[in-house]
Amino acid sequence: MIELRRVTKRFDRVIVPAVEEVTLKVHTGETMVLLGSSGSGKTTVLKLVNRLIEPTSGAVHIDGRDVADADVHALRRSIGYVFQGIGLFPNMTVRQNVGVVPRLEGWSAERIRDRTEDLLGLVSLPGGEFGDRYPDQLSGGQAQRVGVARALAADPAYLLMDEPFGALDAVTRARLQSELLELNGRLGKTIVFVTHDLFEALKLGDRIAVLHEGRLQQVGTGQELHHTPRTPFVRGLFRQLEEQVDELGRRIDRWP
Amino acid sequence: MAVTAWVDYVVARGPEIWLRTVEHLMLTGLSTVGAVLLGVPVGLLAFYRPRSRSVLLSLIGILQTIPSLAMLALLLVLFGRIGAVPALAALTLYALLPVVRNTVVGLEGVDPTLGEAARGLGMTIRQELTMVRLPLALPVLAAGIRTAAVIGVGIATLSAFIGAGGLGQFINRGLALSDTGLIVLGAVPAGILALVVDGSIAGLAWASDTRKHHGAGGPGYATLRSAAVAFPFLLLLVPAVDMLAFDRGRKAAIVRICTKNFTEQILLGEIMAQLIEARTDLAVDRRFGLGGTIICHNALIAGDVDLYPEYTGTALTAILGEDIESSADPEDVFRVVRDAYVQRFDAQWLTPFGFDNTYVLMAKRSVVDSLGWRVVSDVEDRAPGLSVGFTAEFAERSDGYQGFAEHYGFTFGETRDLDPSILYDAVADDQVDLAFGFATDGRIDSYGLEVLEDDQAFFPPYQAAPVVRIATLRAYPELRDALELLGNLLSDPTMRRLNRESEEGGRTVGDVAADFLASTSVLGTLPGPR
Repeated sequence: MIELRRVTKRFDRVIVPAVEEVTLKVHTGETMVLLGSSGSGKTTVLKLVNRLIEPTSGAVHIDGRDVADADVHALRRSIGYVFQGIGLFPNMTVRQNVGVVPRLEGWSAERIRDRTEDLLGLVSLPGGEFGDRYPDQLSGGQAQRVGVARALAADPAYLLMDEPFGALDAVTRARLQSELLELNGRLGKTIVFVTHDLFEALKLGDRIAVLHEGRLQQVGTGQELHHTPRTPFVRGLFRQLEEQVDELGRRIDRWP
Repeated sequence: MAVTAWVDYVVARGPEIWLRTVEHLMLTGLSTVGAVLLGVPVGLLAFYRPRSRSVLLSLIGILQTIPSLAMLALLLVLFGRIGAVPALAALTLYALLPVVRNTVVGLEGVDPTLGEAARGLGMTIRQELTMVRLPLALPVLAAGIRTAAVIGVGIATLSAFIGAGGLGQFINRGLALSDTGLIVLGAVPAGILALVVDGSIAGLAWASDTRKHHGAGGPGYATLRSAAVAFPFLLLLVPAVDMLAFDRGRKAAIVRICTKNFTEQILLGEIMAQLIEARTDLAVDRRFGLGGTIICHNALIAGDVDLYPEYTGTALTAILGEDIESSADPEDVFRVVRDAYVQRFDAQWLTPFGFDNTYVLMAKRSVVDSLGWRVVSDVEDRAPGLSVGFTAEFAERSDGYQGFAEHYGFTFGETRDLDPSILYDAVADDQVDLAFGFATDGRIDSYGLEVLEDDQAFFPPYQAAPVVRIATLRAYPELRDALELLGNLLSDPTMRRLNRESEEGGRTVGDVAADFLASTSVLGTLPGPR
C-alpha cells in the first residue's frame, strides 16, 4: 500500500505550492489514476512516491515504511517507472534497455537474458526480432511497450506510469491501454497512473484521484465521481464529457 | 629545382625525416593522451559543479590564448630544462581546451529526460554517467579529441625551438637559413601527419559507435572496424618501437651542441661539430636552431647540452645582466664574462673564434663612395636629412640607438624599426639610407653594402667563442684541444663570406663548414673520417 500523508511540495521561487496537503491511499493490487490538467500537480505526486521529488512537508509511506528512510537508489529500483517521454536509452539495444534495472541489481548475465526474453514476449515484441534493435528503429507503440517491459524487469510490486500513452496516436493508445489491462489482470501490480484524459482514467482506473491546482478534489470510482461529485471542478469535468458526447452524437446524426 | 633533384634531396634526408616524424608523433600522441586523461576529469568536474564551470573554462581558455612560443619559453623556465618534457607540458595544456569543452558540451547535450529516466530507474550518479551520459556524449568528445590532436600536430612544430625535435626542426632550420626546401621538408610531412592523426581518431570514433554498425555485416567489414580501432593505438606505439629498434647513437660518448636559430650560429655549431668528429672519437648530437639566448644558456647550465657558441657582449648584458660600457675593451669584456661563467655557471669560455659580430652602421657602396664616407663621424653633417633603419631590439638596448646618439652627438632625420630579415634589403632598395646591422651578416657582401668604421669606438664587443660545461671538459680533455684550434681562425670578412655561402643556397651548411675546415690546417694530416 502506498500512502501519502498531508504531503505538500513547494518549489523554490514559486509562491503557489505545486501540491498542497494531499492525503491519499493506494491499495495493494489496485490501479489508481491521478487525473488532472497540466499544472494540477499530478506528476509531482507521482514523483514524490519514488523520491524524484522530496516533499516540503508530510510523508510518503510504502507498506508502512517512510520512503524518506529508504536508500533512494534501492527504493527506485524496487518501483517500476514508465516515463512520459518513454525515456529509452538510445545507446542501448532493446534488450539492454529492458535489462538495465536487473543489471543495476547485479543479476547474472544469464538470468538477465532469460528475464528480458520473457518480458519481451509478454509485451509482444519477440526478442529474436526486436532484441538487438536500437530505440530509433522502433515505432512509438513498440517503444512504449519496451518502456513497460523495462519497468517490469525486476518484478516490482509497484508501477508508476506518467502519461505513458500520451504521445501515441489514438488507435495505438487504445490498443496499449487494452494490453495494459490484460497484462495487469495476470500480474496484479499496484499501479499509479497519471493522465489528463478522462476516457483513459475511466478505462484503466479502479479508482480515480482528481487533482486541480495542487489540491486533491475527490477520490473514487468513475461511477462515484460521476454521480456524487464533491467539488465544482469534478462536476464540471463530467459535464464537459457529456457535452462532448452529445455534440459528437449530433454531428454523427447530421451526416447523410 | 628539378623533380629528380627534389627526389635526391628528399631521399638524402630520408632517415632524418623519419626520425623527426617519429618525434613529432611522440609529442602529439603523448600530449593528446595527456589532454584526455587530464581534460575529461576536469570536464566532468565542470559539468557536475556548475559553479566551477565558468571559472574552469575561462582558466583553460586563457591558457589557449598564451602565444605558443611564450608558453614554451615559460615552461622551459618552469622546468629548468630543454627538450621533450616542457614541450609535452605545453602541448598538453593547449590540447586541454577542446577536450574539456567538448566533454562539458557533450554531457550537457544529453536529453534531460534521459537523465530523469536514469535516476527514476534507480541509477546512481556514477551509473548514470558511465551507462548513459558518457556513451551518448562520446561523438562530441571524440570531435574534441580530434581538434586537440590536430592542434597538437601544429604546435608541435614549434617545439623545435626548445630542443624537443620534431618536424619543426626542419622548418626552424629552413627559416634560419632562408632555405625553402627545408621548410617544405618539415611542413609537408606535418600536414600529412595532421590528416593521418585526425583520420585515425575519426576512424576510432566511427568504429566504436555501435549504433552505426547494426545490421552492417560481412567479415571484411568486421576487419575494417577492428583495424579502425587499432590504428590510433598503433600510431602511438610507433615511437616506442622505433626507439627500441634503432638504439640511436649509444655507441660512443656524445657531445651535445646547441645553437640559436640564425645562420651564423648554426654554421659555427656545424664547424665545431665536424672538427670534433674529425679530431676526437666523440660523437656529436646536433641540437641546432633553439629559440634564443636564454634557451641555449638554460640548456647549458641544466646540463642538457655541453656547449654552444655565444657572444661576449650578449653574455654580459643578457645573461649577467650588466650594462655594457660602450667603449669597452674587448679583452676586458672577455675576461669579465669568462670569470663570471666559471664562478656562477661551471662553464668555460674558450678562445674566441676571432671575429666580432657587433653592430655596425652600413650604407650602399655607391652612396659611400660618392659621398666619400669612411667612418661613422663622416655621416654627421648630412644626418638630419637621412633615414636610418634598425631592429626593434636595437631601439631598446642601452648600447643601441640612444647610446649611439649620445656618444656620437648626432641623430638621423628619420628612424624606422625593421625586422632583421628585411633590414639589409631595405638599404639595398633605398628604402632607408643607412642601417644598423650585424658586422658578419653575409648580406652585407651580397647586397653590395659597405660598413663604416666605428671611429669613436661606441659599439661594444660581441666576440664569439665556444662556451663549454666544465664537467664536459674534464670528462673529455681532447674536446678542449680540438676547439682551441678554432681560436682566432675566423676574421670578420671570413665569417661574412661563410654566412653568405650558407644562405645563398645550392650548398648546405654542412658543405660550407666542411670546405672551410678543409681550407685550414685544423683537421691535421691525420686521415680522419672525412
